[in-house]
Amino acid sequence: MKKLLLFAGILFLLSTGWTPAQEDASRYLDPIEKKYSGLRDYTADVNVHFDIEALKAPDMQARLYYKAPDKMKVESKRIFFLPKEGGYFNPSLFKKKDFDMKVLERLIYDGKKAVRLKLTPMDADTYHKGYILTVDTDRNLIREIKISPSEGREVKATIEYGIFRNFELPTHINLELDMPSEEPSGMKEFTQFGQKTKKITGKVEITYSNYQVNVGLSDEIFKDTDPLKPK
Amino acid sequence: MKLFWFETYKTFSRWRTYISFGFIALIVIMTEVVMKLSASEILFRMMKSFQKDFLIYGNVLNGWFITAFIMNSLHIHIPFFITLVAGDIVSSEATAGTVRLLLIRPPSRSKIITAKYLTTLFYTTGLVIFLALICIALGLLFFGGGDLIMNYQTKFRIVFIPEAEVPMRMLLAFTAAVWSMTVVASIAFLFSTLAENSIGPIIGTMAVVIVFLVLGNFPFDFFRMLSPYLFTTYMVFWQRFLDDPIPWQEIARSAMILGLHNIGLFSIAFIVFNRKDIKS
Repeated sequence: MKKLLLFAGILFLLSTGWTPAQEDASRYLDPIEKKYSGLRDYTADVNVHFDIEALKAPDMQARLYYKAPDKMKVESKRIFFLPKEGGYFNPSLFKKKDFDMKVLERLIYDGKKAVRLKLTPMDADTYHKGYILTVDTDRNLIREIKISPSEGREVKATIEYGIFRNFELPTHINLELDMPSEEPSGMKEFTQFGQKTKKITGKVEITYSNYQVNVGLSDEIFKDTDPLKPK
Repeated sequence: MKLFWFETYKTFSRWRTYISFGFIALIVIMTEVVMKLSASEILFRMMKSFQKDFLIYGNVLNGWFITAFIMNSLHIHIPFFITLVAGDIVSSEATAGTVRLLLIRPPSRSKIITAKYLTTLFYTTGLVIFLALICIALGLLFFGGGDLIMNYQTKFRIVFIPEAEVPMRMLLAFTAAVWSMTVVASIAFLFSTLAENSIGPIIGTMAVVIVFLVLGNFPFDFFRMLSPYLFTTYMVFWQRFLDDPIPWQEIARSAMILGLHNIGLFSIAFIVFNRKDIKS
C-alpha cells in the first residue's frame, strides 16, 4: 500500500511537471515584507573592518540612518567606505514587482528550514544580473545574499540578526568580495606587457550596534546624502 | 663654518636664488586652485576603481592628499630649481673671474669646496621645506584636513592613513624627499665643478635626471633590469612613508644608496676642485 502511494505521488508530481522553480517564490518574501512593514526608520552605529589586500585601512566607524522605503544616509567625521552591495539592511530591496523570482532549492541553513531563491531584475538595464537569497523560512529572515556574477563580480553577504524593539535587524554582515576593479587610465596600455587586470578580493565585516528604531526621522536628514562630495 | 655662512649669504643675496621659491609658490597655488575648481573630476578619477563597489564618505580631497599629490611631481620640477643654484655655485666663480681671487686667499680649497657643497645642501633643504610648508598650509586652508588616502594605481591598491598619523608621516616623507633631492644637487655640484659656465651643469643635470627617469619607467624587461642601477629609482622612496605598513628595510636601502651617491659625487667634485688649474 505504501509503495502504491509513493508511486502515485511520484506519478502525480511528474504529470503536473512540478519543480521547485515553478513554485511561487514570492510566498517566501511576502512574510518578510509583512514582518518589516512596521519598520519606518532606524539609526545604528556601524563599524567596518576590512580584510582586503587592495584596501589597507583601519576599522571605520559611522552612524547610519535609514528611512523606508529607500532613504539612507551615513554620517562620519572621518573618511568612511561602505560596500554598496549588502553593506546595509534595506528590507524593501527585494520587491515582488521588481524581480522575476524562482525557487532554486530547499535546505537546512544554520539548523533552520530555508529556501534558496533566485531573483532576476525585471529591468534589463539593471546593473546586476540578479541575486540569490537564502531565506530562513522558520524566522522569515534573509540569511545570505549572493549577487549573481555580473562582469565577473561576486559578492556574498552573510547576515546575523538581533532583536531591537521587536524587529530583527542585522548585528553582523560578513561580506566576501571578488570583484574586478576599474582599470585606472593608462593601465590598459600596460596590460599588453603582462600585467593582469587586478581584482578587489577579500572580506569585509560590518557590525551594527546601538540601534534606534522608529524614532521618526525627518526627510530633512536625508537631503544631503551625496557620498564623496568635495568640501 | 664662517665660510659656509659666507657662501650662504652670497647665494641668498642673488635674486636668481629666489626664482625657484617664487615658481614653487606659483605652481602650488595654481595646482591647488585648479584642484579646487575640478574637485569632482579629480575625485572621480582618483576613486574610480573603488566607487563602483563602495560608497565613499568624508573629505577625501583634503590638504594632506593635495600635498602628497603635488609631491609626486617633485622629481620633475624641483630638480630643475635645484640645478639653478647647485649648477652655478662653483662655475659662477669661473664665469665671473673670481676663482683665482677666491683660491689665493687663506682658506684651503678643501674648506671652500666643502662650504659650497654645504650651501648647496642648505639651499636644497630650504627649497623642499618651503614646498612642504606652502603645500600643507594652502592645502589645509583650501581643502581642510582629514585622513589621507593614497591611491597606488600601479600597485592597484589604496592605503588609508588616519589623520592623527599624517603629520608625522609627512615629516618623514619630506625628510626623505630632501635626502632624494640632495643627489640631484650633488650631480649639479659636480658638473659645476667641472664646468666654466652655469648653463652646462644645469642642462647636464636635467638631462641625466630625465634620461634616467625615462629609462627607469619603460615597461620593458631590459629597462626593468636596468632600473636598480639608476638613482632615480630610489628617489621616490619618500612615498614609502605613506604606505602601510611602512617598508623600513626598503627605505633604509634606498636612503643608503642615495647617500653613497652623494658621497661619491662630492668626493669626485672635491678631488677635481683641489686639482683645478687656475693658472691657465
